[in-house]
Amino acid sequence: MGDENTVLTENDVRHVMRRAGFGAPPKELAKLLKQAKKRQNPPTRGAVAESLLDYKPKLFKPGGSDRYKAHNKWVSYLQKPKSPLQSKLVLFWHDHFSTQVSVVGEMKIMAVQIRLLHEYAKGNFKDFVKAINRDAAMMEMLDTVRNKKAVPNENYARELKELFTLGVDDLAGNSNYTEDDVSQIARAFTGWDYEYPKGTPYMDDNDHDYEAQFPSRGPKVVFQTTGGFGPAGRDFTVNGEGEAEIDTVTDILFDHTDSDGENTVARRITRRLLRFFCHDDYANPGPAEIAVIDQIIADSGFASTWDLQALYRAIFVHDVFFETAAPAPYGPGTKKAVKWPVDYFVSTLRLTGMKLRTSDRRVLGGSYRTAYGHLSQMGQILLEPPSVFGWSWDTAWLNSATLLARFRFARDIVAAREGGRFQPEKLVDLDLSDPGEIVDAVADSLGIPDQVTTNERNIYIDYLTDNGSNPALDLNDSYERNTKLHGLYALMMQSPAYQLH
Amino acid sequence: MNVSRRRFLQGATAGALLGPTVFNHALVRQSLANTIGNRFLVVLFLDGGNDGINTVCPIDDGGGSLRTDYDLHRFNLNLDPGNLLAIGNDPNTNALLGLHPALQGVHDLHTSKGTVAFLQGCGYPEYSLSHDVSRGIWESANPLNAPLTGGWVGRHLAAGYGPSEVPAVAVDWSLPGDFRQTTTSVLTVKRLEWFGFPYDYYGNEISAKRDAFNAIYGEASGTGMPQFDFLGTSGVATLVSSEAYPDLHDLYETDRGGWSAQYDAVDQSLADDMREIAKMIYGVSQGVPNVNARYFQCRNSGYDTHAGQGAEEITGRHGSLHAEVAESLKVFYEDLEDMGVIDDVAILVWSEFSRRILQNDNGTDHGSQGPMLLMGGKVNGGIYGNHPNINDAALNSDGNTPYSQDNADPFRSIDFRDVYGSVLKQWAGMDHNDILNVVMPLDAGPPASYWTAEDFDMNLFAP
Repeated sequence: MGDENTVLTENDVRHVMRRAGFGAPPKELAKLLKQAKKRQNPPTRGAVAESLLDYKPKLFKPGGSDRYKAHNKWVSYLQKPKSPLQSKLVLFWHDHFSTQVSVVGEMKIMAVQIRLLHEYAKGNFKDFVKAINRDAAMMEMLDTVRNKKAVPNENYARELKELFTLGVDDLAGNSNYTEDDVSQIARAFTGWDYEYPKGTPYMDDNDHDYEAQFPSRGPKVVFQTTGGFGPAGRDFTVNGEGEAEIDTVTDILFDHTDSDGENTVARRITRRLLRFFCHDDYANPGPAEIAVIDQIIADSGFASTWDLQALYRAIFVHDVFFETAAPAPYGPGTKKAVKWPVDYFVSTLRLTGMKLRTSDRRVLGGSYRTAYGHLSQMGQILLEPPSVFGWSWDTAWLNSATLLARFRFARDIVAAREGGRFQPEKLVDLDLSDPGEIVDAVADSLGIPDQVTTNERNIYIDYLTDNGSNPALDLNDSYERNTKLHGLYALMMQSPAYQLH
Repeated sequence: MNVSRRRFLQGATAGALLGPTVFNHALVRQSLANTIGNRFLVVLFLDGGNDGINTVCPIDDGGGSLRTDYDLHRFNLNLDPGNLLAIGNDPNTNALLGLHPALQGVHDLHTSKGTVAFLQGCGYPEYSLSHDVSRGIWESANPLNAPLTGGWVGRHLAAGYGPSEVPAVAVDWSLPGDFRQTTTSVLTVKRLEWFGFPYDYYGNEISAKRDAFNAIYGEASGTGMPQFDFLGTSGVATLVSSEAYPDLHDLYETDRGGWSAQYDAVDQSLADDMREIAKMIYGVSQGVPNVNARYFQCRNSGYDTHAGQGAEEITGRHGSLHAEVAESLKVFYEDLEDMGVIDDVAILVWSEFSRRILQNDNGTDHGSQGPMLLMGGKVNGGIYGNHPNINDAALNSDGNTPYSQDNADPFRSIDFRDVYGSVLKQWAGMDHNDILNVVMPLDAGPPASYWTAEDFDMNLFAP
C-alpha cells in the first residue's frame, strides 16, 4: 500500500507520463523529474502529481473554418502541448461532453467549446456543467436552441442527466430519475439560444415555459420519487422563474443522492475518471471498486467542493492508479487499458521524434495519409465523436479494421525514409551489435522496457538474426539498419503490449 | 495482394507450432458444425431511434381511429394519405397502412416480389428511452439484465463456431454489440480494398515479418488477461483474413462492375457499405478460399430526429434517411438476385426505439415500440403484428404506447425476441431449446406484460 509520500522509480514516472500525458520522451521525463525533485527529493507520488497539476491553463482553440484543418491543428498541438496533462484531460472531457462538429454545423462555435474545455478541465465541475449548459455548440448538438415552450424538446434534458451528471442507474442498478424528471428539466431549458459567431448565450422570454402559461403542466418540480429529496421533490423555480432555472436545476442535480445515500454525481464522475486513468474494472464496479471510488471522493472532498484538481490529485497518488504499471509477464490478474487511438498516434510521434509534414499533416512513408486519415481509420476523429455517447473505450477500440490502421501507421513511420524522416540513429546506439541489446534499446526508446516478456524478446531476436543464422548485426550498414532496425520498430509498435498502457 | 498457396501453408505450420490459432482451424473448417448452411444473415441497424410512426403509417381509420389519432399528434409532421405507399391492412384495426413515400425502393420490392415482412410494434418490457440502454437491450436481447455476455448474434455464433473461425463481418468502424462475444472472431471491415496487411517492403523480407508478427500475437493469446487474449485472437484472425479478403474487392469489381456502378448511382454511404457485403457474399458463393462469413452487419446513422425531422419532403432528415435505406436495400437485393443467391439471404432491419407519439416543435423525442423489417428471397412478405395504439387515452404517462403480451389485447406488441428467435430457428437452423438456453432466456413476470412464452415459429420464411 502506498500513498502520496511513496517514492517513485523512474519507470513509475514513465507510467505517470503515459497515463497522464502522451508518453515519456527522455527530455520530458528529465524535466518532470527535475520539477518534482524541487518539491520533494527523492520525488514522491504527491510531488509528481503536483508538478503535473501545477499548469497555467492554456486556452487552446483549434482555429480555422474547416473541420479537417481544425482536427489536424489540434493533433499537431498535442505533439508539443503546453501541458500534456491538460491536453489529456481535455480529451476526456471532449468525450464526456461529446459534441459532433457535423451536427453543430459550424467550426467556429465548436472551437469555442474546445476552448471552454481547456478553461475548465481542472476547475470546478459544477461551474463546468453550468458553462456547458450555455455553450453554443452544445445548444446545437442537443437541440436546446430548438427547445420551445409549446412542446419542449427533451434532448438536452435527458443527456444532461444520463451522460453529463447522474447516469441512468446508480451503482446498485436503481434508476436515478424518471421520465417525468426528463420532461420537467426540459421545461427549465426552454427558450435558450446564442448569438453567432461568439456564442454569447441568452434566454428569450417569449420561448420560455412560464408556469402561469401552462397550468396544466403543474409546478416545476423534479425528483419526486428519486434523488433522496422526499415525496415533494425539488422545486426549481424557487430562485425565480426564467434564466435562473437552469442553474438551480444543475444545483439540484449535484445534490442528488443514490440508493446508497451517496452523492450520485461525485460517484459517477470519479468512476469515469478511474476508468479513464486506470482500467476497465470501473466500467462495472464491484464492491472493491466502489470502495476505492468512495475513498477517493472522501480524500479529495469532491462531493462538496467539486474541485476537479483535488480529485485528480487523489487519483494520481492512489495505489489503483499504479496498478496498470505492472511489468511483464501478464497473467489473469494483470490490469491494463487499451490506448486511445489519439494517444497511440500522438505518443508514437513524440517517442520516435517524427514530425507531421506541415502543409497537410501527412505521415510520409507509404499510405500518405494525413493525421485525419490515420485517426479516422483507427476509430477516433477529434471534433467528431460517433455520437452523444462519445467513444467506446478499451477493447471496443480494437477490431480488425482499427488494428490494421494502427499497423499501417507504424509501417508509415518506419517506411518514411525519404529525407531521413525516421531516424532511429537518434533513438538507439548504432554501435550495438548484440541482438538482445538492440531489442532492449528499442523497447527503452518506445517507453516499454518493462513491458516485453522473455518470449516476446526471443521472437524479436529471432527476427533480427533470421532465426539465429545472422547472430551479430551491423546497424551502421544502411541496408541492415533499414531492414532490421526499421522492421523491429514497426513490429514493436504493432505489438500487443504497445497497444496497452 | 494475392494469397499464395505457399504462404498459406507457411502460416499453417507456424500456427501448428503455436497451438490453436486460426490456421489449423482453417484446414478443418468445413467439417465443423454450423447450422446456417449456405445461407446468409444481414443485420441493418438504424442508429438513433427511427420514427416508426412515420415509417408504417395509417392511411385511414379503418375500423378504429388510427389516422385521426395520428393527425392529432403529428400536427405538422403528418404524412399526406395521398402520398403514403399502401402495403395492406392492419390486422387489428383494419386501417389501410402505408410506407413513408421515401421508402419507394422497399415498396417496389414489396409489390413486385412480395418478399418484405413488416413487423409492427416490436418492443420489450420495461422499455428504456435512453439510446445507450435501449440499443444495448436490443443488441444483447436482454432487457432484464440476465447474466449473459455479448450480443444475440454473438452468442449464437459462439455456440456454432470454433474459437478462431471467422463466421461474421461487420462493415463498420467498430464491432457492433449484437455481434460481440468472446470465443470466435468477427471481423470489422470498412472497405475491403483497405484490408491488406501493411508491410514495409524494404529488404524484401515479408515472410520474416509475417512470422514475427504472427508469433508475438500468438504469444498474447492464453495469458488469461482480457485485453491480451482479445488482441491475440483478433490480431491473428486479422492477419489471415487480410490475406484473403482484399481480393474480394477486385473479384467483384471485375465480374460485377455494372452492379457496382448502381451502388455508386445511389451515392450514399449505406449503399457503399452494402456493396462491401455484396462483395463478400459473392466471394463466398464463388468458393474463394478462407472466406466463409455468413453473418454481416451494417448501420445507417442519424435517426435521432429531435428537430428538423421533416414530413414527406426528401430534404427533411427523416425523408432523406429513408430514401438512403430504401435505395440501398433495393440495389443490394437486386444485385444478390442477379447473383442467384437472394433465396439464401435474409436482411433484418431494426432500431433501438421509435419516437414519441406527440411530436415536439418540428421533431420527435424518444418513444417505445416500432417496426422491424425483414426481407429476402424466401421471406413471407406482408404485415405482422398490430400497429401500436396511439390514442391519447391508451398511452403511458410518458406519452408512449405500452408494451403488451396480453393475448386478449387487440393491440398486443411483438416482443423483438420472437423475431430474433424465429430468424435463428427458421433461418439459421438453431435448435429451439438452444436458443432459449444459450441466446435468450424467457422473462419472469406477469404474462400480460412480460415475455414469458416464446413464439419462434412466426412463419417468416417460405420453405
